[in-house]
Amino acid sequence: MSIEVLKPGLQTTIQAGPRTGWRHLGVPASGAADPLSLALANKLVGNPWNAPALEATLLGPTLRFNRPTAFAITGAIAGIALNGDDVALHETTFAEAGDQLEVGATEIGARTYIAIAGGFAADDVLGSTSTYLAAGFGGLQGRALDEGDLLATSPMECPALSTPEECRVPMSPSWALRACPGFEADQLEDRDDLFERNWVIGRRADRIGIQLEGGSLEIASDGRMPSAAVFPGTVQCPESGIPYLLSVDAGTVGGYPRVAQVARADRHLLGQLRPGDRLRFLRREVADAIDELRAKLDYWRPWLEDIGNII
Amino acid sequence: MHIRHVDDLLSVAASSPVDAQAIAAHLHDSAEWLEVVPGIDSVVVRYDAARIDVDTAREALNSQLAGGVDPLPESEEVVRIPVVYGGEFGPDLEGLCQDLGISQEAFVQKHTGREYVVDMVGFTPGFAFVGGLDSELEVPRRKDPRQRVAAGSIAIAGGRTGMYAVASPGGWNLVGRTPFALFDARAANPFPIRAGTRIRYYSIPADEFNA
Repeated sequence: MSIEVLKPGLQTTIQAGPRTGWRHLGVPASGAADPLSLALANKLVGNPWNAPALEATLLGPTLRFNRPTAFAITGAIAGIALNGDDVALHETTFAEAGDQLEVGATEIGARTYIAIAGGFAADDVLGSTSTYLAAGFGGLQGRALDEGDLLATSPMECPALSTPEECRVPMSPSWALRACPGFEADQLEDRDDLFERNWVIGRRADRIGIQLEGGSLEIASDGRMPSAAVFPGTVQCPESGIPYLLSVDAGTVGGYPRVAQVARADRHLLGQLRPGDRLRFLRREVADAIDELRAKLDYWRPWLEDIGNII
Repeated sequence: MHIRHVDDLLSVAASSPVDAQAIAAHLHDSAEWLEVVPGIDSVVVRYDAARIDVDTAREALNSQLAGGVDPLPESEEVVRIPVVYGGEFGPDLEGLCQDLGISQEAFVQKHTGREYVVDMVGFTPGFAFVGGLDSELEVPRRKDPRQRVAAGSIAIAGGRTGMYAVASPGGWNLVGRTPFALFDARAANPFPIRAGTRIRYYSIPADEFNA
C-alpha cells in the first residue's frame, strides 16, 4: 500500500494541478512547474492529467515499491533504473513488490515527473493537493520528501502506453520563450533590450523564480511602484536591472516593474530551465501569442484532450 | 475605463486600494475570469485565451465595470493583534528609531496608538498590507531584502505595516512579531484578516509570545 523513500533526491515534492481562485488572498498556483510533463506522465498510467505525482528536481529519488505498481516518468532527461536495469522515459513500466527505482541526475532539463497508476495520496488544501513549500501545506505535510517516508498509494491496473514521438517535449540546454512586453515595459530605457540579449539561467532558479544573468537592463524606476498582480511567467525588473522570471510558487503581487510576460503557450517550460541554460525571449504581439496558443492546443489535443486546462 | 492588456492578462486602473478591492469583488462574481487579483491601484484579471480573443475579453471587462461598482461594506469588528516589539522579534526597530530620531518606546506608542484598515491581502497567503501608518514612521523598503522573514513578522515600509503570515523572503523593516495566526490552511477560516479588516496593535512582553 505504499512506496518507501530510500533517498529523497535534491527536492522531490508531490505536485498535481494548480491551486486556482485564491490569488487575491496571496495563494499562488503551485502545482507542477512543468504541467505538460505531469499530464504526459499521468496519461501513461491511466490517471486524470492532474493526479498527484512526484516532481523531482535535478537529482531524483530512490524509491522501493511495496506492491506491484505501474509507473511512468517524463520530463527532463535523466538516467533511470529499476533494480539496476535501464528504464525508458515516456513508457508505462510495471514494478513488482520489492523493486527499487532509482531516478538519477537530470542531464538536460530540470524536472522529472514520476506518476503511478492510482496516484499518490496527498493533502488537499484550498482545492489542490499540490505542495506549496513556502507556507508548508499540500502534498506530503507541505514539505519535500525525506528519507524513510512512506508514500500511501492505491495502485490501479492500467494498460501499457508509450508517448507518441511527436508528443515528447524536446529538452534542451537552450530555450526560446515567446513573451509579450509587460505592463511596465515602458520603464525600460530600451524596450527591445530584453528580447535582444542572450540570457543565462542563474543559480537561483527554483519553483519561486529564476534569476537571469547576462547583464542588467536600464530601468527608470524609483522603487516605489504600488504592488500589483504578478503571475507565473512575469518577468520583473527591480532597480538593479537584473531580471527575475517568476514561476509557479511566486508571490501573487509585487512592487517591481513587470517588463514582460511569458506567453501562456510556453509557460509550461518554466519548470525545465536549469542553472547554466541559455534563454532568449521571442517578442510577440498579443494577437499572435493567442493564435500560437490555439495552434499548440490543437497540436496536443489528440493525445491530451484536456490540454486547454493543462497549459 | 482604462484597460491595458498583456498576453492573457487585463489590467484596469483603480483610484485607491478600497476601489481596487471593490472592483475585484464585483468581478469575482462573474464566471468569465480565471483569476481576479487586486493590487494597490489596479486589478488584473486573467481570461481564457483558448476560448476568447483579447478584444472580446476587453469588451466583457468594460461592460462589467461600465455601471460602476458598489463600495464594500465597512468591517465592524476590530481585530486586536498582540506584538512583541524590538529585540530579536523586531531586529530593525533599533536602527529604524535611530534613523527616525525617536525612542523605541515612542515608536511603540505611535504604532499602537491608532486604528488601521487592511488595504490588501496578497504576495504570500494571508500577507496583509495595512494602511494608515503615522506619516512620521514612513520609511522605504530595505535595500538588502532578507532571504527569509519569520512567519508573524510585523514590518513597516512605504507608509504601511506589513504582516508576514507565512515565512518568506522580504524587504520590509521588521519591527516586531505576533503570535496571532494570520493564516492557517487547516482552519475553518484560513484567512482571518482580509482587505477592509480593522486592526489595532498592542504591545506584549517577549515572554508572552508563546504563552
